[in-house]
Amino acid sequence: MTDAASQSVLPVLGIMLPATGMLLMLLVGGRYVEWLALILLPAGLAVAAAIFAAVWREGHTLIYVVGGWQPPLGIALRADGLSAAMMLVTAVIICATGLFAGPQFSQPRGRPERRAPLVFWTLLLAIWAALNAVVVGADLFNLYVALELLTFAAVPLVALTGGTETIEAALRYLLFALLGSVSYLIGTVLLFAAYGTLDIALLSARVRPEPISWIAASLMTIGLIAKTALFPLHLWLPPAHAGAPAPGSAVLSALVVKGSFFLIVRLWFDAMPGLLNLAAAQLLAGLGAAAILLGSILALRQSRLKLLIAYSTVAQVGYLFLIFPLAGAASEPASSIAWTGGWLQLFSHAFAKAAMFMAAGLIAEALGHDRIAELGGIARRLPISTLAFALAGLSLMGVPPSGGFVAKWLLLLASVMQGQWWWAAVILLGGVLAGAYVLIVVGKALAPAGAAAAPTAPVSRRREVVALTVALGAVLLGLVPLQPSELLQIGRLDVHALAAR
Amino acid sequence: MADLDPWLAATLLLPIAMLAACGFARARARIPDLLWLVPLPALFTAVVAPDGAELVLPAARLGLGLSFRLDRVGAMLLGAAALLWLLAGVYARAGLRRTPGAAAFAIWWLLTMLGNLGVFLAHDMVTFYLFFTIASLAAYGLIVHDQSAPARRAGRVYVAFTLISEAMLLAGFVLLAAATPQHGIGIDEVVDALAQSPWRGTTMALLITAFALKIGLVPLHAWMPLAYSAAPIAAASVLSGAAVKAGVIGLIRFLPFAAPPPHWGQALAAAGLVSAFYGVGAGLFRANPKTVLAYSSVSQMGVLATVLGMGLMAANRHTAIIAAFYATHHVLVKGSLFLALGIAASRGWRLWVVAALALGLAGLPLTGGALAKAAIKLPLSDGAIGLIADLSAVASAILMFHFLRCLVCAPDAEPAPPATRLRRRAWLLLALACVAVPAALFPRLELMTWGEIFGPKPLWDAAWPILVGGLVTLARQSFYDRLPVRRAGAELGVDHALLLISRRFGDAVVAIDQHLRQWPTAALMFVGLVLVLAGALLMR
Repeated sequence: MTDAASQSVLPVLGIMLPATGMLLMLLVGGRYVEWLALILLPAGLAVAAAIFAAVWREGHTLIYVVGGWQPPLGIALRADGLSAAMMLVTAVIICATGLFAGPQFSQPRGRPERRAPLVFWTLLLAIWAALNAVVVGADLFNLYVALELLTFAAVPLVALTGGTETIEAALRYLLFALLGSVSYLIGTVLLFAAYGTLDIALLSARVRPEPISWIAASLMTIGLIAKTALFPLHLWLPPAHAGAPAPGSAVLSALVVKGSFFLIVRLWFDAMPGLLNLAAAQLLAGLGAAAILLGSILALRQSRLKLLIAYSTVAQVGYLFLIFPLAGAASEPASSIAWTGGWLQLFSHAFAKAAMFMAAGLIAEALGHDRIAELGGIARRLPISTLAFALAGLSLMGVPPSGGFVAKWLLLLASVMQGQWWWAAVILLGGVLAGAYVLIVVGKALAPAGAAAAPTAPVSRRREVVALTVALGAVLLGLVPLQPSELLQIGRLDVHALAAR
Repeated sequence: MADLDPWLAATLLLPIAMLAACGFARARARIPDLLWLVPLPALFTAVVAPDGAELVLPAARLGLGLSFRLDRVGAMLLGAAALLWLLAGVYARAGLRRTPGAAAFAIWWLLTMLGNLGVFLAHDMVTFYLFFTIASLAAYGLIVHDQSAPARRAGRVYVAFTLISEAMLLAGFVLLAAATPQHGIGIDEVVDALAQSPWRGTTMALLITAFALKIGLVPLHAWMPLAYSAAPIAAASVLSGAAVKAGVIGLIRFLPFAAPPPHWGQALAAAGLVSAFYGVGAGLFRANPKTVLAYSSVSQMGVLATVLGMGLMAANRHTAIIAAFYATHHVLVKGSLFLALGIAASRGWRLWVVAALALGLAGLPLTGGALAKAAIKLPLSDGAIGLIADLSAVASAILMFHFLRCLVCAPDAEPAPPATRLRRRAWLLLALACVAVPAALFPRLELMTWGEIFGPKPLWDAAWPILVGGLVTLARQSFYDRLPVRRAGAELGVDHALLLISRRFGDAVVAIDQHLRQWPTAALMFVGLVLVLAGALLMR
C-alpha cells in the first residue's frame, strides 16, 4: 500500500474540524453557535476541497497514520479517490443545508434561548464529522465507531420539532439502527477472531472464503442494509425522513443513508475482495431492484409531498445496489463503467434529494400543509422552489443533462455489455415510474389554484435560491463525461493487487 | 458559415431566456403576449441556412456535452415548425389574455417549443434525447391545460404512452452506444455501427417502437385522438403539426438507410399501411372536428411510416429528404386545419380555403399537398404499391370530406373563443404557407421537374382520388344521413380498466408495505436476510 500513497494531515483535519467545532458550540451556546457555524462550514468545505484537489492532482491515496503507529497496532486514515469525492459532496451539501437552515434555526435576539438551534447545529457538525470518518476510516472497528456517531447524530434530527409523531419515528429509527449496529459488531468480532486484524488492507490479504467469513460478511452487510433502509428493511425511513424539519430531511436523505452504503461497498470491494460471488451479488441487486420498483410505486401512491420524496429515496437507494453485480465482475471496461455509474447515482441523488426536500419544506411552509392534491397555484407563488423541485426531479428521472442521466446511462451500458439485461429493464422501469411521480407534482404545482386556496405565508427568497442552487448541482453533475471516471479508481488498484497476491 | 452560429444559439437560448423571465412576476404577465416572437431566430436560421451544406457545432465547442448540426432535412422541418409555432403563438395570444392559467400555459408552450426545435438540430444521441424528452413531457401541460375531466384523462393516457416511449428510446440509444467503438454517441457513427451490432434486432425494435409511439402508429395511437381533442386549439395545432415530427425526425435520423437489416423495412411499411387506413376508418365514425383531424394525423403518419419503410426496404438514401418534405407539408397543413376550428371558418370564402387545405392532404392539384404526394410516389411508384398509394389518397379524400361536413354541421361542437382579426390573419398566412413553402422547396429537392407535375396526366392522377372520394362521400350521405356519435378514444375503453387494475395493484403494494413495516415482520426479514445472504455466499 505504501508504493502509491502520500502522508497527509488533511484526512484527520476533515474529521477533527467539525468534531472540535461541535464541542465548542456546546461550550459557547447562544447566538455564538450560528457565528461559529458560519466560520466552520466554509473551513470544512475548504479542507474537503483541498483533499479532493490533492488526490486529483497527485493521482494517489492520502494516508495519515494516527500517532505514528502503523496498523495493525495503530490506526490509519486513508483518503482514496472515492473518499475524496464523497467528502467534497458531503461538504457541499452540508454547507448548502447550513445556508438553508440559517434563518430557520437562529436564536432570536433579546429573547430567551431556544433549544432547537443549538441542537441542530451541533447535530449537523456531528453528522459531518461522522461521515468524514466513515469515508476515510481504514479499519473496521473505527468504522463501527464512525457509524454509531452517524446514527446517534441523525436520530435526534428527526425529533427536532418534538411532536409525538416525529418522536415515534425517531424511536423507530433508533431501534432499527441499533439492531443494525449489533449485527455489524458481531460480524466484526467474528472477523477479528478468525483473522486477528480489522485493518482493511491487512484483512483483504487474509480473508478466505470459509463459513466464518461468510457469516461475518452477511451479518455486517444486513446490519448496514438496515441502516441504509434498503427494501424490505426500510420501515423506519418514510416516517423519519418525512417527519424531520426540511434541512434535517435533506441531510438524512442525501447523505446519512449513503454513509452505511459506503461501508457496504468498502466491505465487499476493499476488505473482502473475492468473497463476493454471483449469487450474493444478484441477491443484493435483487433487493435493490425490488426497492426501485416497489419504492417508486409507493411514492406514486402518497398523498403528501414529503412522504412521496421519502419513498423516492427508498427507490433511489435501490439503484446503488446494482453496483454489486455490475461492478463486481472482473470484466473491464464494463465494471469500471458500472463503478462510475453507481457512484454518480449516489452523488446526483444527494444533490437532487437535498434540493427536493428543501423545496418541499418551503412549499409546506408557505401553504401550511404538503398535500399534493392542494398544491395548485404554488408555482406562481414560489416559482424558484418549484423550479428547484422540477430540476431535481429531472435528475431523478434521468433526463439529460443531469447527474442522474449520466449515472443511468453508464449503469445501463454496463448491464447491456455484461448481458445482465434484467437490471437494464429495472432501471428503465424505475425511470418511467419516477417520471410519473415527478410529473404529477409539477403538473399540480403549475395548475391554477383552486377556489378555496388559502393565503400563503411569505418565504425567504434566500432559502429558495439555496434550494435551486443545490438542484443545479445535480444538473451540473451531468456535464461529467460519459466515461468511467479515473478519479474514482484512485486507490482501488493497490488493494486489488494486494488481494491477488 | 460561422456567422450562423449566433442564430443557431439564439434558436435555443431565446426560449430558455423567456422561461427564465417567467421567474419574475412582472415579466410573467407579459410573456403570453410575446410567445410568438420566440421562434423567430429558428425561422431565420432555417431560411438562411446554406442549402445542402451541413453546419456542425461539436460538443467540444460548447463544453456542455451537447452537439448540434443543421442539414437540409433538419432545416426544412425546423423552418416549418418555427413558422407554425410563430403563427400559432399569434393565435394563442388573443385567447390567453388575462386568463388565470396563462402563465402556466406559456411555460409549457415554451418548453414544448424548445424541445421541438432542438430535436431537429441534435447531432448526438444525448442531445436528441434531451430535446425529445423536454418536448414530450412538456406537451402534457398543454394537453391538460383546461383541467377538465376529459383533459385529465387524455393527459394521463398521454403520459403513460410518452414515458414508455422515452424508456424504450433510452434503451435503444444505450444499445446503439454499446455497439459503437468507444461507446460514442454521435448519431452518424452509431447508425453506421448498427450493422455490426450484436443486438441489431433488439435495437431496431426498440427504436421503431419508441418513435411509432410518438407518431401514433396503430396500435400505439390511442393517446393521439384523446390528446388532440382535449388540448386547446392552439396547443392541438402545434402538437399535431410540429411536436409529432420529433418522431419523424427520429426515424429519419436513426433508420439505417445505408445498410438496412432485412425485414424491418417491411414491418415498418406494413404498420404504416395499417395506420393509414385505420386512421381514415376510425375518423369516419367521429363527429368532433378535432377528433377527426387527430385520426387524420394517425393516417398521415401511417403514410409517412410506409414511405420510410419502403425506403428502408430499397436502401434508398433519398428517402430521408422525401419523408422530410412530406412531413414539412404536414406540419403546416395540420397546424392550419386545427387553427381553422377557432376562427368560425365554417362558412363563406374561408370554408373554401379550409377545403383546399384539407383536400391537399389527399393531393388536390395545385396545393402543397399535391407536391408532397408526388414526392412520396417516387419510392412507392411501382405496380401494386402505387395502387396502395392511390387508395390511400382516396381514403384521405373521404376522411377530409367527412371533416368538412363535421365542420359545417357542427360548428358549435366546442364554443370557439371570439375570433379576432389578428387570429384570422395568422391563420390565413399559415394557409398560404401550406402552398408557398412546398412550392419553394420542391425545385431544390431536384426530384422531378415542374413539367412532370403540371402535365395533364399527373394532374389527372392527382385529381381522380379526390373525385372518387367526393362521390363516395355523396353516396354515403344519401344512405346514412346522420353524423356519427362516437367519442375520441372510444376504442380505448381499456384505459379505465387499466387504471382500475393499476390502482388495485398499487393498493396491493401499499398493503405489502404496511405489512413489511410492522416490527415483527421487519425483524423476521432481518434475520431471514442474514441467513439467505450467508447461504448465497455458500454457493460457489
